[in-house]
Amino acid sequence: MRRYDSLIIAAAIVVLGGLLSLVLADYRLRLLNVSVISAIAVIGFNFAFGLAGLISLGHAAFVGLGAYTLAILTTALGWSPWLAIPVAILVTTVFAGMIGYPLLRLRGHYLALATLGLNVSFTIVVTNWITLTGGTNGISGIPELRLGGFAFNDERRFLWLGLVLLALCAAFAITLQRSRHGRAMMAVRDDETAARMTGIDVTRVKITALCLSAAFAALSGTLFAAHVRFVAPEDFNYAHSIIYLAMLIVGGEGAVAGAVIGAALLTFLPEWLRFLGDAYLAFFGLMLLAILVFLPTGLVGLTGRLRRLGWGAKVERTP
Amino acid sequence: MTLLQATAISKRFGGLMALSEVDFTVAPGEFVAVIGPNGAGKSTFLNVLTGLTLPSAGNVQFDGRDITRAPTHGRIRAGLGRTFQHGRLFSRLSVLENVMTGAAIRTDRSESQLREASLGMLDRMGLADEAKRPIDSLSYGQRRMVELCRALACGPRVLLLDEPAAGLNSGEVELLMARLIALRAEHELAVVLIEHNMGMVMRLAERILVLNFGCRIAEGTPAKVQSDPAVLSAYLGEGYNNARD
Repeated sequence: MRRYDSLIIAAAIVVLGGLLSLVLADYRLRLLNVSVISAIAVIGFNFAFGLAGLISLGHAAFVGLGAYTLAILTTALGWSPWLAIPVAILVTTVFAGMIGYPLLRLRGHYLALATLGLNVSFTIVVTNWITLTGGTNGISGIPELRLGGFAFNDERRFLWLGLVLLALCAAFAITLQRSRHGRAMMAVRDDETAARMTGIDVTRVKITALCLSAAFAALSGTLFAAHVRFVAPEDFNYAHSIIYLAMLIVGGEGAVAGAVIGAALLTFLPEWLRFLGDAYLAFFGLMLLAILVFLPTGLVGLTGRLRRLGWGAKVERTP
Repeated sequence: MTLLQATAISKRFGGLMALSEVDFTVAPGEFVAVIGPNGAGKSTFLNVLTGLTLPSAGNVQFDGRDITRAPTHGRIRAGLGRTFQHGRLFSRLSVLENVMTGAAIRTDRSESQLREASLGMLDRMGLADEAKRPIDSLSYGQRRMVELCRALACGPRVLLLDEPAAGLNSGEVELLMARLIALRAEHELAVVLIEHNMGMVMRLAERILVLNFGCRIAEGTPAKVQSDPAVLSAYLGEGYNNARD
């Protein structure tokens, strides 16, 4: 059963999302698109934070770098977005590898602060490098994605594309997590010294995890740019990094399904709770606290807990 | 012929000389014990051998190569293995997955080969039934055994054991000794044992190195070390001769 988990999750994403795309109306569809795009970024974040234990608060900078690379290549240079997407992913991944070497010498809170600084720097650079990025005006006129005569230019069509990409990302992430590479990342988080003692090159594993997380973030950023067809600095500031972190914690760190559930939930929650007005933020804070205290493994941890309860009941029944 | 050779190893922590000019060799298949009172520098010595601490002076050679400054994972891939004093496992992985991280040192193995090799190792150590269990459901003794399996799954030629019997009950110690003896009969595995359980040391070791305050104070067969006056005074105090009267 575990062997087919990646296929099951991928199929669930496509089927469930496909059904929703048929029944939901325009604004809900837009939110669903935002969820899908965020989910790809959070799946990436799971490699760094959930598996390798790198407390990064700069994930939105990678999303932004991907989005801006696509925006600049397609508008200033007139590239096809399909060509710009892989280039944007490559640029972001190489950037992550380059800053990974010095940054990953830091641990825990120091790494969190340094990556937060990275995110703030990204926003400052993007805001002030006006000739390249348009400053606070952002970059508009990003071309739509089209395949032959089929343009992904309305919410429903874009969602179909997003769902397929999300399903592929999820299946890839699950397969990788269950391989020796995923185990090596978890080993590094659990005990670095013991990981070294099983022949694991800890630095390399950490940088790989950061690069993978950046690659997924860049894909998410390019989709964001192609969906909204406009990018501006505030879409990628550090607050978004914290939202990605919250999505992963609510859904369940270390689990791909958790990343997807968390991304969807935290995208829709503000809409469902709109009647709370400004009290929403207080509610949000309390909810995060409650999850951290009572459900440290997130919402996906609930299934394991329920299963254990059922199992415990069975044991009690046997005399 | 020597497989692992440490020459004139010194390690200074500020004003404290944790190791001073320690020489040490291990031949293929040999069983050597390192003993000494608490704070003698035994664990520091293992850390120097495995690269967790770099020595202030001296050098370490493995299989003819200088590994004094080599990174830990490189030494492990070359054929060193080690367990820790308090048993360090990956708590989010199952028993089997823990052993599989060790087996994955051979990059040519497929996932199913990793699984088979690791299950085989667990089976030999009597842990096959625990393979699917999470680490936190194991007893302390079982955890130490899983750690040993993980180290063995790396296929070491020299295995360094840091107090493997600490915290085990006498039955578990007997079992551990029996398995170590069986392992050595199967593979040509050299073992370096740090241990306070003298019964275990005297029964298993072919040669013993005694450290005190970072210095080598004696080396030789168990019988020779047991009657060495420097060793007796280190363990029993200077006045041990008077106490006999």
